[in-house]
Amino acid sequence: MDKVADFRNDLAVALRIALLRIRGQMQYRASFWMQIVGNFFVNIAEVLVTWSLFQHFDNLGGWSLEEVILLHGLAMVTFSLGDTLSNGVQSVPQMIREGTFDRNLVRPMSVYLQSVVSEVSARHFGHLTQGVLLLGIGLATAPIEWSVGRIAYLPVIILSGTAFFTALFTVEAIFAFWTVNGVEAVNAFTYGGSDLGQYPLHIFRRGLRLIFLWLVPIGFMTYYPALYLLDRADPLGLPRAASFVAPLAALLFCLVIRFGWRAALRRYTSTGS
Amino acid sequence: MTTQIQARDLSKRFERHTRRAGMVGAMRGLFDRASETVTAVDAVSFDVARGEIVGYIGPNGAGKSTTIKMLTGVLTPSSGEATVAGFTPWSERRKLAQQIGVVFGQRTQLWWDLPLIESLELLQHVYRVPEQRFRENFTMAAELLELGSFLNTPVRQLSLGQRMRGDLAAALLHDPQVLYLDEPTIGLDLVAKTNIREFLAHLNREAGVTILLTTHDLADIERLCKRIIVIDHGHIVHDGDLARLRDKIATERTMTVDFDDPPTLDDQLETRGMRLLDQTGQRVRVAFERSRLTAPDVLTALTEYGSIRDMSIEEPSIESIIQHIYKA
Ligand SMILES: Nc1ncnc2c1ncn2[C@@H]1O[C@H](COP(=O)(O)OP(=O)(O)OP(=O)(O)O)[C@@H](O)[C@H]1O
Ligand SMILES: [Mg+2]
Repeated sequence: MDKVADFRNDLAVALRIALLRIRGQMQYRASFWMQIVGNFFVNIAEVLVTWSLFQHFDNLGGWSLEEVILLHGLAMVTFSLGDTLSNGVQSVPQMIREGTFDRNLVRPMSVYLQSVVSEVSARHFGHLTQGVLLLGIGLATAPIEWSVGRIAYLPVIILSGTAFFTALFTVEAIFAFWTVNGVEAVNAFTYGGSDLGQYPLHIFRRGLRLIFLWLVPIGFMTYYPALYLLDRADPLGLPRAASFVAPLAALLFCLVIRFGWRAALRRYTSTGS
Repeated sequence: MTTQIQARDLSKRFERHTRRAGMVGAMRGLFDRASETVTAVDAVSFDVARGEIVGYIGPNGAGKSTTIKMLTGVLTPSSGEATVAGFTPWSERRKLAQQIGVVFGQRTQLWWDLPLIESLELLQHVYRVPEQRFRENFTMAAELLELGSFLNTPVRQLSLGQRMRGDLAAALLHDPQVLYLDEPTIGLDLVAKTNIREFLAHLNREAGVTILLTTHDLADIERLCKRIIVIDHGHIVHDGDLARLRDKIATERTMTVDFDDPPTLDDQLETRGMRLLDQTGQRVRVAFERSRLTAPDVLTALTEYGSIRDMSIEEPSIESIIQHIYKA
């Protein structure tokens, strides 16, 4: 019970820290907005690729432009939210190199949450805005038969995906505790995976599909929930329940990452580096 | 007298990967990484009582910071035990954190992009300090550390001295029982150093805070610490009163004598157990073993060379004492 109260307090404090720091950055209005706008345009390439694809083909693995835009939106919103939330965690390797990580260990607050707010930036809001726009367009134009179930499931998809991507970005930080060089390989999963999550999973080769379903379950975060929203059958033959695995898969994935994070912390406290 | 910090045979060994020279060495390194074990802290034991200020000193790389990291829970020791304010630091880190304040002189604990006052207010929430206590501690720190003029400045724009004062204030808002200070005066000017020393003395006197302090500035020690622990190559080589250390080690005293007229000295001085350090005009400085000669002995001997107008005796400086320990 103590732990729950501690965690709630930690969350409240983390939120307070994040808000104060964002507010502080907004005082430099020009650079604050420039960052966001810049980030919006940096990430627009993905959308242009899809758009040009549809100039030549009228569908992608049987999906219309509107449907693919919906998938883009889901993937982008969850990815950029996860990216934003894990900003500080992603900077942990750098904090360790600079020796500033120690302070997170001498305060009565969750080390993970302290890491989360150790680097707060609105940078990824550009990407997020883009995702929200695409999601909005996708939801409005794709052939969705709206029902209570579909409306209720939408926020669940977003939350699960956000938690999932936050955890995925944490993997990078965890690896950095052991090796400086291995991090690139992990990047392939984060960025590669998120790219992959924007397209209908069935257009990819079997090997990739297996990896991004059963090892890094991105497919369960975007593709399968989208199948439910669009009321499409799964060409890959998984049962219909696969569309509702997202929260469970996210939870499992987070638990695994939590285990890894703790191991990483133990390593740090025994080697000091 | 209650014990606040207790260390028993505390050791910390680090694995250090060594790079082999040359291309072949680098290739070999891919398969079996050469490593050596560095014993940073070696079976260190000591007790610090509530309300004590202890100076923890030693040359670079002696193991001071490593010891502090173990006693704050940042590092798990390779072997040995410790209790701080009733907790085992590395296994009860969060509970301990509530009872201790830590200042790592080289790195700030504050949020670099926030004004100092906001950092302090955030820490109130991190430590869950009741409003009333927070106000009292904040007012006290702001006054004694003279924070007023830069409370609203973002931490990144503060000078080193201002930042350090901010860090000190941040470390005690939650009424810690134990304060660890790892080089709190490094790089500061004399005014800032003095201000910080007075503040620490005040905190210790008024609130009974136990302080463990590392420093390379022996003036910090002279002002604040009755007791010093000297560590070298991970071993404790001295633990006790500063005064007693002086007696034990610094056996040579220096006497400065002003004659009425410039005296002509001879080698009789040496045979009587004195050593001539220098002579400039009427002024003569001699060193002598305190175990062999008393000050009156020396003075009597010197009057044979002329009438004496003035004299003074210097005890050895801490610097020379510490140097002596390091060399041993
Ligand atoms: N994380 C680490 N990994 C490997 N070796 C380390 C690590 N931290 C410290 N050491 C080594 O342990 C020894 C003690 O270091 P420590 O930082 O405790 O010294 P110190 O007394 O604080 O020195 P200084 O006065 O320079 O601050 C040194 O040889 C140092 O190189
Ligand atoms: Mg040190």
